[in-house]
Amino acid sequence: MKHYAMVIDQSRCVGCMACIAACVQENQVPFENFRTRVLEITKGKFPKLRTEFRPELCNHCDNAPCVMACPTGASYKRKDGIVMIDRDKCVGCKACIAACPYDARYINEEHGFADKCTFCLHRLKKDLEPACVATCIGKSRVFGDLSDQDSEVSRLLAENESRVRLKAAGTKPRVFYINRYPTKK
Amino acid sequence: MEFTITGANALTYPHLHIWDWRVAIYLFLGGLAGGCMSMAAVANLRPGKDVPKNQACCWRVPMMTPIILAVGMGFLFLDLQVKQHMYRFYMTLQPLSPMSWGSWILVLVFPAMIAFALSTVPESAMDKLKDGMIRNLIIKAQNSMRPLAKLNFLLGILLSIYTGILLSSFMARPLWNSSILPVLFLNSGMSTGAATMILMARRSSIKLFFTKVDIWLIFSEITVLILLYYGQFTSPEASRESIMPFFTLTSQYFPYFISILTLSIVLPLAIILKFLELSGDHSENLELTFKQKFEMNASAVLVLLGGAIIRFALVYAGQLSKFTGLS
Repeated sequence: MKHYAMVIDQSRCVGCMACIAACVQENQVPFENFRTRVLEITKGKFPKLRTEFRPELCNHCDNAPCVMACPTGASYKRKDGIVMIDRDKCVGCKACIAACPYDARYINEEHGFADKCTFCLHRLKKDLEPACVATCIGKSRVFGDLSDQDSEVSRLLAENESRVRLKAAGTKPRVFYINRYPTKK
Repeated sequence: MEFTITGANALTYPHLHIWDWRVAIYLFLGGLAGGCMSMAAVANLRPGKDVPKNQACCWRVPMMTPIILAVGMGFLFLDLQVKQHMYRFYMTLQPLSPMSWGSWILVLVFPAMIAFALSTVPESAMDKLKDGMIRNLIIKAQNSMRPLAKLNFLLGILLSIYTGILLSSFMARPLWNSSILPVLFLNSGMSTGAATMILMARRSSIKLFFTKVDIWLIFSEITVLILLYYGQFTSPEASRESIMPFFTLTSQYFPYFISILTLSIVLPLAIILKFLELSGDHSENLELTFKQKFEMNASAVLVLLGGAIIRFALVYAGQLSKFTGLS
Protein backbone atom coordinates (compact mmCIF):
# COMPACT_ATOMS: atom_id res chain seq x y z
CA MET A 1 0.00 0.00 0.00
CA LYS A 2 1.30 3.41 -0.96
CA HIS A 3 1.70 6.19 1.58
CA TYR A 4 1.64 9.42 -0.32
CA ALA A 5 3.45 12.45 1.08
CA MET A 6 4.94 15.71 -0.09
CA VAL A 7 8.28 17.19 0.86
CA ILE A 8 8.78 20.90 0.31
CA ASP A 9 12.36 22.10 0.03
CA GLN A 10 11.90 25.73 0.99
CA SER A 11 15.41 26.65 -0.10
CA ARG A 12 14.39 25.87 -3.67
CA CYS A 13 11.17 27.87 -3.68
CA VAL A 14 11.53 31.17 -5.55
CA GLY A 15 8.00 32.39 -4.89
CA CYS A 16 6.98 32.36 -8.54
CA MET A 17 3.46 31.20 -7.61
CA ALA A 18 3.33 28.94 -10.66
CA CYS A 19 2.09 26.16 -8.36
CA ILE A 20 -0.97 28.22 -7.49
CA ALA A 21 -1.73 28.93 -11.13
CA ALA A 22 -1.21 25.29 -12.11
CA CYS A 23 -3.50 24.10 -9.31
CA VAL A 24 -6.25 26.55 -10.21
CA GLN A 25 -6.05 25.54 -13.86
CA GLU A 26 -5.80 21.80 -13.25
CA ASN A 27 -8.62 21.59 -10.72
CA GLN A 28 -10.83 24.36 -12.09
CA VAL A 29 -10.70 26.04 -8.70
CA PRO A 30 -13.37 28.78 -8.54
CA PHE A 31 -12.42 32.46 -8.70
CA GLU A 32 -10.89 33.75 -5.46
CA ASN A 33 -10.53 30.22 -4.02
CA PHE A 34 -7.21 28.45 -3.67
CA ARG A 35 -6.11 24.93 -2.79
CA THR A 36 -2.52 25.98 -2.28
CA ARG A 37 -0.82 29.23 -1.36
CA VAL A 38 2.68 30.56 -0.85
CA LEU A 39 3.61 32.61 2.19
CA GLU A 40 6.50 35.05 2.03
CA ILE A 41 7.77 35.82 5.50
CA THR A 42 10.69 38.15 6.16
CA LYS A 43 12.21 38.11 9.63
CA GLY A 44 14.92 40.08 11.36
CA LYS A 45 16.05 43.69 11.54
CA PHE A 46 17.51 45.56 8.58
CA PRO A 47 20.03 44.81 7.18
CA LYS A 48 20.04 41.33 8.76
CA LEU A 49 16.91 39.91 7.19
CA ARG A 50 15.90 36.40 6.22
CA THR A 51 13.06 35.51 3.92
CA GLU A 52 11.20 32.26 3.96
CA PHE A 53 8.95 31.11 1.15
CA ARG A 54 6.48 28.60 2.49
CA PRO A 55 4.10 26.85 0.13
CA GLU A 56 1.04 25.59 1.99
CA LEU A 57 -1.70 23.14 1.09
CA CYS A 58 -3.87 20.48 2.71
CA ASN A 59 -1.59 18.41 4.93
CA HIS A 60 -3.55 15.17 4.41
CA CYS A 61 -3.13 14.56 8.12
CA ASP A 62 -3.06 11.04 9.50
CA ASN A 63 -5.05 12.34 12.45
CA ALA A 64 -7.27 14.59 10.37
CA PRO A 65 -9.58 16.85 12.43
CA CYS A 66 -11.68 17.60 9.33
CA VAL A 67 -12.49 13.91 8.91
CA MET A 68 -13.47 13.62 12.56
CA ALA A 69 -15.66 16.73 12.44
CA CYS A 70 -17.58 15.74 9.30
CA PRO A 71 -21.13 14.76 10.33
CA THR A 72 -21.99 12.85 7.16
CA GLY A 73 -18.79 10.95 6.42
CA ALA A 74 -18.22 13.10 3.33
CA SER A 75 -14.64 13.74 4.42
CA TYR A 76 -12.66 10.56 4.57
CA LYS A 77 -9.10 9.30 4.49
CA ARG A 78 -8.06 6.84 1.84
CA LYS A 79 -5.74 3.96 2.60
CA ASP A 80 -2.99 5.68 0.62
CA GLY A 81 -3.19 8.63 3.02
CA ILE A 82 -5.05 11.12 0.85
CA VAL A 83 -7.90 12.96 2.57
CA MET A 84 -10.82 13.28 0.17
CA ILE A 85 -14.31 14.78 0.10
CA ASP A 86 -17.29 12.88 -1.29
CA ARG A 87 -19.22 15.75 -2.88
CA ASP A 88 -22.47 13.79 -2.94
CA LYS A 89 -22.39 13.44 0.83
CA CYS A 90 -21.28 16.97 1.70
CA VAL A 91 -24.02 19.17 3.18
CA GLY A 92 -21.87 22.29 3.32
CA CYS A 93 -22.12 22.61 7.10
CA LYS A 94 -18.57 24.02 7.20
CA ALA A 95 -17.60 22.00 10.29
CA CYS A 96 -14.53 20.71 8.44
CA ILE A 97 -13.41 24.27 7.65
CA ALA A 98 -13.71 25.21 11.32
CA ALA A 99 -11.86 22.04 12.31
CA CYS A 100 -8.85 22.50 10.05
CA PRO A 101 -6.02 24.30 11.86
CA TYR A 102 -4.31 24.93 8.52
CA ASP A 103 -7.25 26.73 6.91
CA ALA A 104 -6.80 24.49 3.90
CA ARG A 105 -10.46 24.17 2.97
CA TYR A 106 -12.97 26.44 1.30
CA ILE A 107 -16.57 26.32 0.15
CA ASN A 108 -17.08 25.95 -3.57
CA GLU A 109 -19.59 28.77 -3.86
CA GLU A 110 -20.88 27.51 -7.18
CA HIS A 111 -21.90 24.07 -5.90
CA GLY A 112 -21.86 24.55 -2.13
CA PHE A 113 -19.64 21.65 -1.10
CA ALA A 114 -16.39 21.97 0.82
CA ASP A 115 -13.29 21.55 -1.28
CA LYS A 116 -9.54 21.31 -0.91
CA CYS A 117 -6.32 19.84 -2.31
CA THR A 118 -6.57 16.19 -3.36
CA PHE A 119 -2.90 15.74 -4.24
CA CYS A 120 -4.39 15.72 -7.77
CA LEU A 121 -5.70 12.19 -7.32
CA HIS A 122 -7.04 12.17 -10.86
CA ARG A 123 -3.48 12.69 -12.11
CA LEU A 124 -2.01 10.10 -9.72
CA LYS A 125 -4.34 7.53 -11.27
CA LYS A 126 -2.64 8.25 -14.58
CA ASP A 127 0.83 7.98 -13.00
CA LEU A 128 1.27 11.73 -13.20
CA GLU A 129 2.53 14.00 -10.43
CA PRO A 130 0.25 16.59 -8.81
CA ALA A 131 0.01 19.71 -10.96
CA CYS A 132 1.84 21.91 -8.47
CA VAL A 133 4.75 19.44 -8.33
CA ALA A 134 4.93 19.03 -12.08
CA THR A 135 5.00 22.78 -12.64
CA CYS A 136 7.42 23.74 -9.84
CA ILE A 137 10.35 25.38 -11.64
CA GLY A 138 12.69 25.20 -8.66
CA LYS A 139 11.85 21.57 -7.88
CA SER A 140 10.86 22.70 -4.43
CA ARG A 141 7.87 20.41 -4.23
CA VAL A 142 8.60 16.69 -4.26
CA PHE A 143 5.81 14.13 -4.17
CA GLY A 144 6.06 10.41 -3.66
CA ASP A 145 5.44 7.24 -1.75
CA LEU A 146 6.78 7.09 1.81
CA SER A 147 6.46 3.31 1.93
CA ASP A 148 9.05 3.08 -0.86
CA GLN A 149 12.45 3.50 0.78
CA ASP A 150 14.00 4.41 -2.55
CA SER A 151 11.54 7.18 -3.38
CA GLU A 152 12.79 10.73 -3.44
CA VAL A 153 10.54 11.81 -0.58
CA SER A 154 11.93 9.02 1.62
CA ARG A 155 15.48 9.97 0.67
CA LEU A 156 14.93 13.68 1.35
CA LEU A 157 13.38 12.99 4.73
CA ALA A 158 16.22 10.62 5.63
CA GLU A 159 18.91 13.10 4.65
CA ASN A 160 17.36 16.30 6.01
CA GLU A 161 15.91 17.56 9.21
CA SER A 162 12.24 18.05 8.47
CA ARG A 163 9.40 20.02 10.04
CA VAL A 164 5.65 19.85 9.84
CA ARG A 165 3.23 22.70 10.39
CA LEU A 166 1.73 23.11 13.86
CA LYS A 167 3.25 19.94 15.21
CA ALA A 168 1.69 20.64 18.60
CA ALA A 169 -1.76 20.28 17.07
CA GLY A 170 -1.09 16.54 16.85
CA THR A 171 -2.58 16.13 13.41
CA LYS A 172 0.38 14.19 11.96
CA PRO A 173 0.64 16.00 8.62
CA ARG A 174 1.93 14.35 5.45
CA VAL A 175 3.45 17.51 4.06
CA PHE A 176 7.00 17.94 5.30
CA TYR A 177 9.26 20.99 5.09
CA ILE A 178 13.03 20.97 4.78
CA ASN A 179 15.70 23.69 4.47
CA ARG A 180 13.66 26.55 5.84
CA TYR A 181 16.06 29.24 4.66
CA PRO A 182 17.97 29.31 1.34
CA THR A 183 21.34 30.03 2.96
CA LYS A 184 23.00 29.07 6.23
CA LYS A 185 23.28 31.80 8.86
CA MET B 1 8.22 41.21 10.03
CA GLU B 2 6.95 41.18 6.48
CA PHE B 3 4.20 38.71 5.85
CA THR B 4 2.77 38.30 2.39
CA ILE B 5 0.34 35.57 1.50
CA THR B 6 -0.49 34.84 -2.07
CA GLY B 7 -3.40 32.55 -2.75
CA ALA B 8 -5.41 32.80 0.48
CA ASN B 9 -9.12 31.98 0.68
CA ALA B 10 -11.29 34.91 1.63
CA LEU B 11 -13.37 32.72 3.96
CA THR B 12 -10.40 31.78 6.08
CA TYR B 13 -7.96 34.66 5.76
CA PRO B 14 -7.15 36.69 7.78
CA HIS B 15 -9.82 35.19 10.03
CA LEU B 16 -12.24 32.36 9.69
CA HIS B 17 -15.72 33.70 8.99
CA ILE B 18 -17.80 30.73 8.02
CA TRP B 19 -20.47 30.83 10.70
CA ASP B 20 -22.53 33.96 11.23
CA TRP B 21 -25.64 35.08 13.12
CA ARG B 22 -27.63 32.11 11.84
CA VAL B 23 -25.45 29.65 13.77
CA ALA B 24 -25.37 31.95 16.81
CA ILE B 25 -29.18 32.06 16.84
CA TYR B 26 -29.35 28.28 16.37
CA LEU B 27 -27.07 27.75 19.36
CA PHE B 28 -29.07 30.23 21.44
CA LEU B 29 -32.43 28.73 20.57
CA GLY B 30 -31.06 25.19 20.99
CA GLY B 31 -29.84 26.06 24.49
CA LEU B 32 -33.10 27.85 25.25
CA ALA B 33 -35.15 24.85 24.10
CA GLY B 34 -33.01 22.57 26.28
CA GLY B 35 -33.47 24.90 29.24
CA CYS B 36 -37.23 25.08 28.67
CA MET B 37 -37.44 21.28 28.53
CA SER B 38 -35.63 20.87 31.82
CA MET B 39 -37.32 23.74 33.61
CA ALA B 40 -40.81 22.77 32.46
CA ALA B 41 -40.05 19.27 33.71
CA VAL B 42 -38.98 20.71 37.06
CA ALA B 43 -42.22 22.69 37.22
CA ASN B 44 -44.20 19.50 36.78
CA LEU B 45 -42.10 17.39 39.11
CA ARG B 46 -41.94 19.82 42.05
CA PRO B 47 -43.10 18.28 45.29
CA GLY B 48 -46.04 19.88 47.05
CA LYS B 49 -47.56 21.53 43.99
CA ASP B 50 -51.20 21.29 43.04
CA VAL B 51 -52.46 19.83 39.76
CA PRO B 52 -49.89 20.88 37.18
CA LYS B 53 -52.33 20.73 34.30
CA ASN B 54 -54.08 23.81 35.65
CA GLN B 55 -50.95 25.91 35.94
CA ALA B 56 -50.30 28.04 32.92
CA CYS B 57 -46.53 27.77 32.86
CA CYS B 58 -46.67 24.03 33.07
CA TRP B 59 -48.20 23.60 29.66
CA ARG B 60 -47.43 26.74 27.69
CA VAL B 61 -43.68 26.34 27.89
CA PRO B 62 -43.67 22.64 26.86
CA MET B 63 -45.91 23.65 23.95
CA MET B 64 -43.51 26.42 22.93
CA THR B 65 -40.36 24.31 23.21
CA PRO B 66 -40.68 22.29 19.96
CA ILE B 67 -41.43 25.54 18.12
CA ILE B 68 -38.35 27.24 19.60
CA LEU B 69 -36.17 24.31 18.58
CA ALA B 70 -37.73 24.09 15.13
CA VAL B 71 -37.06 27.79 14.55
CA GLY B 72 -33.46 27.27 15.71
CA MET B 73 -33.06 24.35 13.33
CA GLY B 74 -34.51 26.53 10.60
CA PHE B 75 -31.64 28.96 11.09
CA LEU B 76 -29.15 26.08 10.94
CA PHE B 77 -30.79 24.90 7.75
CA LEU B 78 -30.38 28.38 6.30
CA ASP B 79 -26.66 28.14 7.00
CA LEU B 80 -26.17 24.85 5.14
CA GLN B 81 -24.57 25.32 1.74
CA VAL B 82 -26.06 22.19 0.14
CA LYS B 83 -29.56 22.16 1.58
CA GLN B 84 -30.79 19.32 -0.62
CA HIS B 85 -28.22 17.02 1.02
CA MET B 86 -29.60 17.58 4.53
CA TYR B 87 -30.92 14.02 4.62
CA ARG B 88 -27.28 12.89 4.65
CA PHE B 89 -27.13 13.72 8.36
CA TYR B 90 -29.44 10.76 8.92
CA MET B 91 -27.74 8.28 6.64
CA THR B 92 -24.87 7.76 9.06
CA LEU B 93 -23.74 8.20 12.65
CA GLN B 94 -20.22 9.58 12.95
CA PRO B 95 -19.12 8.85 16.52
CA LEU B 96 -16.37 11.49 16.52
CA SER B 97 -18.44 14.29 15.02
CA PRO B 98 -20.48 16.34 17.52
CA MET B 99 -22.54 17.71 14.64
CA SER B 100 -23.54 14.14 13.82
CA TRP B 101 -24.45 13.52 17.47
CA GLY B 102 -26.52 16.70 17.35
CA SER B 103 -28.56 15.60 14.38
CA TRP B 104 -29.43 12.35 16.16
CA ILE B 105 -30.02 14.06 19.51
CA LEU B 106 -32.67 16.16 17.75
CA VAL B 107 -34.34 12.96 16.57
CA LEU B 108 -34.56 11.83 20.19
CA VAL B 109 -35.55 15.19 21.57
CA PHE B 110 -38.44 16.15 19.29
CA PRO B 111 -40.77 13.18 20.01
CA ALA B 112 -39.99 13.41 23.73
CA MET B 113 -40.75 17.12 23.93
CA ILE B 114 -43.94 16.77 21.90
CA ALA B 115 -45.13 13.86 24.05
CA PHE B 116 -44.38 15.89 27.18
CA ALA B 117 -46.20 18.90 25.76
CA LEU B 118 -49.25 16.72 25.10
CA SER B 119 -49.10 15.32 28.62
CA THR B 120 -49.44 18.81 30.11
CA VAL B 121 -52.51 19.94 28.15
CA PRO B 122 -54.93 21.37 30.76
CA GLU B 123 -58.48 20.18 31.31
CA SER B 124 -59.86 23.47 30.00
CA ALA B 125 -58.22 22.86 26.65
CA MET B 126 -59.27 19.20 26.65
CA ASP B 127 -62.90 20.25 26.82
CA LYS B 128 -62.52 22.08 23.53
CA LEU B 129 -61.01 19.07 21.75
CA LYS B 130 -63.28 16.75 19.84
CA ASP B 131 -62.88 12.99 20.17
CA GLY B 132 -60.16 11.83 17.86
CA MET B 133 -56.57 10.79 17.49
CA ILE B 134 -55.10 13.88 19.14
CA ARG B 135 -57.38 13.62 22.15
CA ASN B 136 -56.50 9.94 22.54
CA LEU B 137 -52.81 10.74 22.25
CA ILE B 138 -53.13 13.43 24.91
CA ILE B 139 -54.91 11.07 27.27
CA LYS B 140 -52.22 8.43 26.77
CA ALA B 141 -49.46 11.00 27.30
CA GLN B 142 -51.12 12.37 30.43
CA ASN B 143 -50.96 8.94 32.00
CA SER B 144 -47.17 9.04 31.61
CA MET B 145 -46.63 12.70 32.50
CA ARG B 146 -44.08 12.14 35.26
CA PRO B 147 -41.81 9.71 33.35
CA LEU B 148 -42.04 12.03 30.34
CA ALA B 149 -41.06 14.99 32.53
CA LYS B 150 -38.04 13.08 33.86
CA LEU B 151 -37.02 12.14 30.32
CA ASN B 152 -37.39 15.77 29.21
CA PHE B 153 -35.28 16.96 32.11
CA LEU B 154 -32.41 14.72 31.01
CA LEU B 155 -32.81 15.41 27.30
CA GLY B 156 -32.92 19.15 28.00
CA ILE B 157 -29.53 18.90 29.68
CA LEU B 158 -28.22 16.85 26.76
CA LEU B 159 -29.49 19.37 24.22
CA SER B 160 -28.09 22.39 26.06
CA ILE B 161 -24.69 20.86 26.67
CA TYR B 162 -24.49 19.65 23.08
CA THR B 163 -24.61 23.22 21.76
CA GLY B 164 -21.39 23.88 23.67
CA ILE B 165 -19.73 20.60 22.75
CA LEU B 166 -20.30 21.41 19.09
CA LEU B 167 -17.95 24.38 19.36
CA SER B 168 -15.56 23.03 21.96
CA SER B 169 -14.60 20.07 19.78
CA PHE B 170 -12.76 22.31 17.29
CA MET B 171 -9.14 22.06 18.32
CA ALA B 172 -8.24 24.53 15.57
CA ARG B 173 -10.13 27.35 17.29
CA PRO B 174 -8.51 27.94 20.68
CA LEU B 175 -11.33 30.07 22.12
CA TRP B 176 -13.85 27.30 21.56
CA ASN B 177 -11.53 24.44 22.41
CA SER B 178 -12.26 24.51 26.14
CA SER B 179 -14.03 21.89 28.21
CA ILE B 180 -15.64 24.74 30.16
CA LEU B 181 -17.55 25.99 27.12
CA PRO B 182 -20.16 23.17 27.17
CA VAL B 183 -20.69 23.80 30.89
CA LEU B 184 -21.19 27.51 30.18
CA PHE B 185 -23.69 26.78 27.42
CA LEU B 186 -25.51 24.29 29.64
CA ASN B 187 -25.66 26.80 32.44
CA SER B 188 -26.78 29.58 30.16
CA GLY B 189 -29.39 27.33 28.53
CA MET B 190 -30.86 26.37 31.90
CA SER B 191 -30.83 29.99 33.02
CA THR B 192 -32.66 31.19 29.91
CA GLY B 193 -35.12 28.29 30.37
CA ALA B 194 -35.86 29.47 33.90
CA ALA B 195 -36.25 33.03 32.61
CA THR B 196 -38.80 31.81 30.06
CA MET B 197 -40.73 30.07 32.82
CA ILE B 198 -40.80 33.35 34.76
CA LEU B 199 -42.04 35.25 31.72
CA MET B 200 -44.72 32.72 30.88
CA ALA B 201 -45.94 31.84 34.38
CA ARG B 202 -49.10 33.49 35.69
CA ARG B 203 -48.95 32.46 39.30
CA SER B 204 -46.69 34.42 41.61
CA SER B 205 -45.63 31.23 43.41
CA ILE B 206 -44.25 29.77 40.20
CA LYS B 207 -42.57 33.02 39.22
CA LEU B 208 -41.02 33.12 42.66
CA PHE B 209 -39.84 29.53 42.48
CA PHE B 210 -38.04 30.05 39.17
CA THR B 211 -36.69 33.38 40.35
CA LYS B 212 -34.92 31.51 43.14
CA VAL B 213 -33.72 28.85 40.72
CA ASP B 214 -32.48 31.47 38.27
CA ILE B 215 -30.49 33.36 40.91
CA TRP B 216 -28.37 30.28 41.47
CA LEU B 217 -28.10 29.63 37.75
CA ILE B 218 -26.94 33.20 37.04
CA PHE B 219 -24.39 33.09 39.83
CA SER B 220 -23.15 29.82 38.40
CA GLU B 221 -23.13 31.25 34.87
CA ILE B 222 -21.02 34.24 35.90
CA THR B 223 -18.59 31.93 37.72
CA VAL B 224 -18.23 29.61 34.73
CA LEU B 225 -17.81 32.59 32.38
CA ILE B 226 -15.00 33.96 34.55
CA LEU B 227 -13.42 30.49 34.69
CA LEU B 228 -13.56 30.24 30.90
CA TYR B 229 -11.63 33.49 30.50
CA TYR B 230 -9.26 32.64 33.33
CA GLY B 231 -8.59 29.20 31.89
CA GLN B 232 -7.84 30.68 28.47
CA PHE B 233 -5.62 33.37 29.99
CA THR B 234 -3.50 30.83 31.84
CA SER B 235 -3.22 28.50 28.83
CA PRO B 236 -0.65 28.58 26.02
CA GLU B 237 -0.26 31.61 23.77
CA ALA B 238 -2.96 30.78 21.22
CA SER B 239 -5.60 30.38 23.95
CA ARG B 240 -4.47 33.53 25.72
CA GLU B 241 -4.61 35.50 22.48
CA SER B 242 -8.08 34.13 21.77
CA ILE B 243 -9.71 36.12 24.61
CA MET B 244 -7.87 39.36 23.90
CA PRO B 245 -10.58 40.77 21.58
CA PHE B 246 -12.81 40.97 24.66
CA PHE B 247 -10.30 43.09 26.53
CA THR B 248 -8.94 45.26 23.74
CA LEU B 249 -10.58 48.61 23.17
CA THR B 250 -9.90 49.16 19.48
CA SER B 251 -12.26 49.71 16.59
CA GLN B 252 -11.51 46.21 15.27
CA TYR B 253 -12.52 44.49 18.49
CA PHE B 254 -15.12 47.01 19.68
CA PRO B 255 -18.13 44.62 19.47
CA TYR B 256 -16.34 42.04 21.63
CA PHE B 257 -15.36 44.62 24.22
CA ILE B 258 -18.95 45.86 24.29
CA SER B 259 -20.24 42.30 24.65
CA ILE B 260 -18.19 41.57 27.76
CA LEU B 261 -19.05 45.02 29.14
CA THR B 262 -22.77 44.40 28.53
CA LEU B 263 -22.59 40.96 30.14
CA SER B 264 -20.88 42.40 33.17
CA ILE B 265 -23.84 44.80 33.54
CA VAL B 266 -26.74 42.62 32.40
CA LEU B 267 -26.15 39.52 34.51
CA PRO B 268 -25.48 41.26 37.86
CA LEU B 269 -28.43 43.59 37.17
CA ALA B 270 -30.64 40.55 36.63
CA ILE B 271 -29.53 39.17 39.98
CA ILE B 272 -30.24 42.49 41.74
CA LEU B 273 -33.72 42.64 40.23
CA LYS B 274 -34.35 39.08 41.34
CA PHE B 275 -33.34 39.87 44.90
CA LEU B 276 -35.68 42.85 44.80
CA GLU B 277 -38.40 40.47 43.66
CA LEU B 278 -37.75 38.12 46.54
CA SER B 279 -38.04 40.94 49.05
CA GLY B 280 -41.69 41.54 48.05
CA ASP B 281 -44.82 39.84 49.36
CA HIS B 282 -45.57 36.77 47.25
CA SER B 283 -48.30 35.01 49.16
CA GLU B 284 -50.60 32.96 46.93
CA ASN B 285 -53.66 35.10 47.30
CA LEU B 286 -52.00 38.42 46.52
CA GLU B 287 -52.16 39.92 43.06
CA LEU B 288 -48.81 40.89 41.62
CA THR B 289 -48.26 44.62 41.52
CA PHE B 290 -47.04 46.35 38.37
CA LYS B 291 -43.66 46.94 39.99
CA GLN B 292 -43.28 43.26 40.87
CA LYS B 293 -44.29 42.16 37.39
CA PHE B 294 -41.89 44.65 35.87
CA GLU B 295 -38.97 43.47 38.02
CA MET B 296 -39.71 39.83 37.26
CA ASN B 297 -40.10 40.28 33.53
CA ALA B 298 -37.23 42.74 33.22
CA SER B 299 -34.81 40.39 34.96
CA ALA B 300 -35.99 37.51 32.78
CA VAL B 301 -35.46 39.58 29.63
CA LEU B 302 -31.98 40.52 30.85
CA VAL B 303 -31.14 36.85 31.32
CA LEU B 304 -32.34 36.03 27.80
CA LEU B 305 -30.32 38.96 26.47
CA GLY B 306 -27.24 37.73 28.33
CA GLY B 307 -27.67 34.24 26.88
CA ALA B 308 -27.91 35.61 23.36
CA ILE B 309 -24.86 37.86 23.85
CA ILE B 310 -22.79 34.90 25.08
CA ARG B 311 -23.65 32.86 21.96
CA PHE B 312 -23.05 35.70 19.50
CA ALA B 313 -19.81 36.85 21.13
CA LEU B 314 -18.33 33.38 21.36
CA VAL B 315 -19.36 32.27 17.86
CA TYR B 316 -17.80 35.33 16.27
CA ALA B 317 -14.76 35.69 18.52
CA GLY B 318 -13.94 31.99 18.22
CA GLN B 319 -13.47 32.45 14.51
CA LEU B 320 -10.86 35.13 15.12
CA SER B 321 -8.78 32.66 17.10
CA LYS B 322 -6.33 30.27 15.55
CA PHE B 323 -3.14 28.48 16.37
CA THR B 324 -0.33 31.00 16.50
CA GLY B 325 3.25 30.25 15.63
CA LEU B 326 4.29 29.46 12.15
CA SER B 327 5.52 25.92 12.52
